[in-house]
Parts: sequence; C-alpha cells; structure tokens
Amino acid sequence: MPAVCCYFEVHQPFRINRFSVFHIGGDINPYDAYFNHDLNRKIFERVANKCYLPTNRLLLDLIKQFNGKFRISFSITGTFMEYCDRYMPEVMESFKELFRTGCVDLIGETYYHSLSGIFDDLSEFEDQVNLHRETLMRRFNYEPAVFRNTEAIYDNRIAKKIEEMGFRGIITEGTEKILGWRSPNYLYKPVNAPNLKVLLRNHQLSDDIAFRFSATGWNEFPLTAEKFGSWVSASEGDLVNIFMDYETFGEHQWPETGIFDFLRHLPDEILRYPNNEFITVREAVERFSPVGEIDVPFAISWADMERDVSTWLGNDMQIACFNELKEIGRRVKEKGDENLIRLWRLLQTSDHLYYISTKGLADGDVHKYFSPYSGPYEGFINYMNILQDLKQRVEL
Amino acid sequence: MKIAMIGWEYPPFKVGGLGTHCYGLTHALANLSVNVDFYIPKRTEQKMVKSERNLRIIEVGVANVFPYDRYSELPIENDFFNAVETYNSLCANRIKGCYDLIHCHDWLTMEAGIRLKEKLDIPLIVTIHSTEYDRSGGIYPNQYFIEREKRGMDAADRIIAVSHFTKRIIMEKYHIPEDKIRVVHNAVSKIGEGGKKKKIVLFFGRLTIQKGAEFFLRAAKKVLEKENDCLFIVAGAGDMLPRLIDLAIHLGIANKVMFTGPLTDEEVKHIYRIASVYVLPSVSEPFGITALEAISAGTPAIISKTSGVAEVVKHSLTVDFWDVDEMANKIIALLRYHPLRKTMVENAKKEVDFLTWERTAEKTLEVYREVI
Repeated sequence: MPAVCCYFEVHQPFRINRFSVFHIGGDINPYDAYFNHDLNRKIFERVANKCYLPTNRLLLDLIKQFNGKFRISFSITGTFMEYCDRYMPEVMESFKELFRTGCVDLIGETYYHSLSGIFDDLSEFEDQVNLHRETLMRRFNYEPAVFRNTEAIYDNRIAKKIEEMGFRGIITEGTEKILGWRSPNYLYKPVNAPNLKVLLRNHQLSDDIAFRFSATGWNEFPLTAEKFGSWVSASEGDLVNIFMDYETFGEHQWPETGIFDFLRHLPDEILRYPNNEFITVREAVERFSPVGEIDVPFAISWADMERDVSTWLGNDMQIACFNELKEIGRRVKEKGDENLIRLWRLLQTSDHLYYISTKGLADGDVHKYFSPYSGPYEGFINYMNILQDLKQRVEL
Repeated sequence: MKIAMIGWEYPPFKVGGLGTHCYGLTHALANLSVNVDFYIPKRTEQKMVKSERNLRIIEVGVANVFPYDRYSELPIENDFFNAVETYNSLCANRIKGCYDLIHCHDWLTMEAGIRLKEKLDIPLIVTIHSTEYDRSGGIYPNQYFIEREKRGMDAADRIIAVSHFTKRIIMEKYHIPEDKIRVVHNAVSKIGEGGKKKKIVLFFGRLTIQKGAEFFLRAAKKVLEKENDCLFIVAGAGDMLPRLIDLAIHLGIANKVMFTGPLTDEEVKHIYRIASVYVLPSVSEPFGITALEAISAGTPAIISKTSGVAEVVKHSLTVDFWDVDEMANKIIALLRYHPLRKTMVENAKKEVDFLTWERTAEKTLEVYREVI
C-alpha cells in the first residue's frame, strides 16, 4: 500500500557541429559554428511530435479524469525551455497547462544539465542551480522544493550544498551500492545534511518501463498496466519512486510498443488497490520522515550498469575534455565576457561527454542510440576542437 | 580431412595480404588436424619445399605469375598470361589423389580449381581476397580478369569473402547468390610495441591506384599547414612511385615525405612501432591487414570507409578516401590529442587480439564442413 511518486526528466542538449581543426581560431560566429541548429531543430520537432505533445495531452486527460488523484512531477532543463521558445512555444504552453492543474510538481536542477556538481569548486554549480530556479520562478511563478542533479549524480558534497541552498529534498538512484540490504522505498537523510530528505529511484520498477517494456526476451514481456499495478501494490515501504526520461513515452519506446496504452491504464490499475495513491516529490518530502542515513563519498548516478560517473568520465578522452572545461571556466570567469560564459555553459551539458564514452557493448548500444556522431572518437575530436577554439577566444 | 589448396604467393615471397593469409591459414588449419597440401608456383632456384605436421608446401613448375608492379596503362604482357595458363594447367594435371576438397585463392588459380573440381569430383572453395573492381580502383576494370573471377565464383560450391564489403561486391558485380557466400575475416600476426613513438604519419602498401597513396599526400599537405614538425612516410613499392614523388614535389612537401621503397620484415616492424598514426586511404580495400598490424604495434589507424577492416576494428577512425580535409583533421587530432591516441589504441588492441588465425581457420573449417 505505498504512495507512488512518478517523476520524468525532460531534457534536450544543444548538440554540437562537426568542427574541424581547420576551423579553430577562424573568423566564425562561435554560437552558430559550435552548435548544429538544423539538426537540433529537427530532433526537437520530431521528439515533440512523438513524445512531448502527445504524452502531455494524455497526462492532462488522466489528471482531469482522476480528479486530482493522479499526480506527477517533472524536471525540465533550461536548455529544453530554450528549445521550446525557439522552435515550438506550444510545447512550453502544454507543460504550463499541466502545471496549472495543481497536480504537477516541478523539480530544481542545473540549468544546463551540466556536470558542474562534480567540479572541484561548487560555485558554478550553485550559479546554474540558481539560474534554473529563477527561470522556474519567471515562467511558472514556482519555487521547487526538491532538487535532482544531472542524471541523478549525487555525493555528500552535493547534498550538503543543496541543503545550504534551501532545498528540502534531493533525488538520486536507489542503488545497492549505497543502500546495501535496505529498501529504496523510504526516505533517507544524507549523513552530513540532516535537514535534507533523499528520494531514491526504484530502479527495478522504473527500468521495467524505461528499458524492458519492449524487450521481447524479458520473461515478463509483455508488461501490462495491470501487472505493473500489482507489482507496485505488493511493494513494501512508504513510497515507490518511478523515475525515468520523459522520452520513454513515444521516443525510446515507440507508440507501436503499446507504451501509451500502458500509461493510459496505469493510474486506474494503481488506484484500484485500496490505500494506493499518487504523490508529487514535494508531497513526498512533506509527508514522510527519513528512516536512515546514507553516506555517499563517491559520486553515484542513475546511468549505465555501473551507476557512477564513468558514463561521462570513464576514459582518458572524457577526462581530458572535462579538465579542459574546468580550465576554460577559470579563465572565462576572470575575463567576465557574458557571451563566452554562455558558450562555455552550453558546452557543459553532460551529453557532450556522454557521446565520447567507449563503454562495452551492453551500455555502448544505448550510447550509440543517442549519439549524433559515428562514434566516440569523432565525438571527441569535434568537442575537443571546439574547446580549443573557445580557449583561444577566451585568451584573446 | 585432406585438402588441396592452390595459391600463388607464400612467405617469404609475398606482395600482399593473400600471402599473409595463406601462411596464417594453412598453419592454423594444420593445427586443427586438417591435412593441407599447399601448391605454389616455383619462383627461384632456391627450393622452398618444406613439410610440417599436416602441412606440405609443394612447388609446381616454374611460372612467373607475379601480377603486380605493372603500369596499368600498358597491356599486360603475353608472358604473364602464358605463365598463368601454364601454372593452372600444371596444377590441374599434377594434382591428384584423395582430397576432400580443393581450395583456391583469387582469380589467378581459379582455372585449375575449376578443372580439378571436375577431374577429381570434389567440392571447390574459392577465397576472394580482392576483385578486379578493387584493384582497378573502379577505373577501367579489365574484363579478362572479371570473366576469370566470375567463372571461378560460378563454379565454386562456396565462396569465402574476406569481408562483408567484398561480399557485397561479389553479389552486386558478379551476381552471385548470397547463400553461396561466407564471410571470414582475416587475422593478424601481432607485431607488438617497442621503440619510441615519433611524430610520424605512416602509409604502407603497394603503390597502386587501389591503395590511395595520392590522397595520403594531399592530406599531408594540409596537415603540414598546421603541424609542420611531423614526417610522412610512404612505405612500399609499386608502379605509382615516380608519380607520387612528383606529386610530393609539386605539393611542396618533398622535404617532409619519405619514400622508403621495399622494406624487410624487420624494417616494417620498426616503422609500425615508431609511427604515431597509420593511414589506410584505399580506394577499395577488401580487407586491409596492415591496419591490424599497425594497431598491434601500438599505432592508431585511420581507415578508409571503403575497406573491410573497418568491420572488425570499431575503435578506429574512418574517412572517405577522397575527403582529404577530413583525413587531415583526423591525423592532426591524433597527433595533438594524446588521450585520443591512447584510448583508441588500448581498445583497438583488444579487438585485434581477438582476430587470430586460429579463429579464421575455425571459420574456414566450418565452410569446408558445409560441402563435404
């Protein structure tokens, strides 16, 4: 008889252009030269039509149908909101309409979906979290209570900073690495930030939808809302956190898989059990108390099998780019040029490093699915060439 | 199982991947308890007949069938055709006995294969290491060779292609049904690292249209605009050498390009080891064992998209052979960014470790078992 807390991550990166070594230091408009606006527009429009618009419509119907009993949360990145403004304002409008129902909560994060949370110095992280907070205030007139870092990256240091910044809750992965035998279906508190509550993703149930839904080799295939509802109801604990990419609906899982039918029937199949209910992330931290502490000295995340930051910093190329990013940041801030700071921040989006991952087959397939390049090495060359160009501009 | 295999080059007398392949394959097959008689044209006064467990190298007659190092504009001399005919006839007449199958390599030995299939009434396997479309770079392919190749492919019970790239050519250009073709990738005898890396970009191959050395030089010109302290080495021999030297002079980079001419095995190993980047810019490359050799010597490879080896080394960079700007971009990236070189080599070596002649022999044996 748990509460069900569903949250969806909504994000699009500014994917970069092919950028050759011969472009470095050239007479170019860096914003147009760095980013592939055509590709980005195409991808955004495609995903908007396949996922954002139809799923928003469906969720709005469900919220109305269940009269306030179906409740969800979104984490919407700053770059995503810029996409809406630029290409399809109706997407932003539909999120606003959802929010106005009062059944939808919003989550704080870094504006640029960046890895600034693992910089040595957290001041850039703080700036980006505040930037996102201001954006939500301006667009939704809302201040989020719960924070979710990029791809749920979390460690004690980040928790401490988020507590200082006044958030009441933080989201991360319910991995056995930090829980041991304990259940993700309760709130915990960080060992060093006693006023913060940690919501942990139930990766089993979340990935049943996000990854396994259309896996024909899975012994539970096909997954029905009825079956999923019974699993959720049978779960022990205070709450079940079902967190995933919003693009799961219609994009990662195509409409033909039946994912929309699944979603359409999900509220009913969960609410038919007595005492089951949906809650938002804010309601979760308001209602429940932590049952224990978690201690996370090394960063974890929800990504790949390893559930750590090796997705972005797993090979020498990624580490070299990350160090270059940090180094450029130091200089660009000294220089104080707003345009260059903006470019630097757009380049911080974690996706750029994700494309450079060389992980083995299992996860490599997922990486390949998302990558606009023919492989990690080309991804590295483009990205590093751009960083070299930006560095030269900062030094001018 | 006892098989007769007919080739036309075998180390130490070899000019390319076919010889390397035959050497690696026959030894690995012998280790798998397949009894192999390998027939080869007699080349020199020096006798190279030798026997090992399960493997006999048998020289047939004296025939000069060395098909490369010819100017492509000139008609092929009658001597060469006669030599090929002689060699094939000798093989067809001489080979007898109880073999389970006959296995030929490339067009040059196919006539013997066709006749022996009939004479001994045993299955014929042909391995295609390259087609006339590859060798000519698509420019005026010679109809004589194409007909020879087609005849052999039609007669064969199974065709082994050294890559999916070649399989596609066999299907599209020679109209062979897909179910007759099996892909068995080449392997490599590892060279191993050693020696200090220098700022050297390496090309190694026959200097023919097919191998694309011209594009290597044009890319070199562009690289040198940004990185003027590196050296480009064009290793190997071939009929295009004078023209390539002219081109280097014309591009104004003659002082940064070194033409080595033919090299000994030891020299080849050394040059692989001290290079920082290997480029395989082939116009049409059925496989490209040299890329694997370079990687095994710790040198990352930039590989033409029109090559078979790109299928087995995912941890490489690929380019269109004609896109010299992109080739230069990638060469410079490898020269400048050490983490790129390191990551590529580490991962590519793991892939190459997997490509052993034992594996190639096992896959070949599977094809044999299909027909006997």
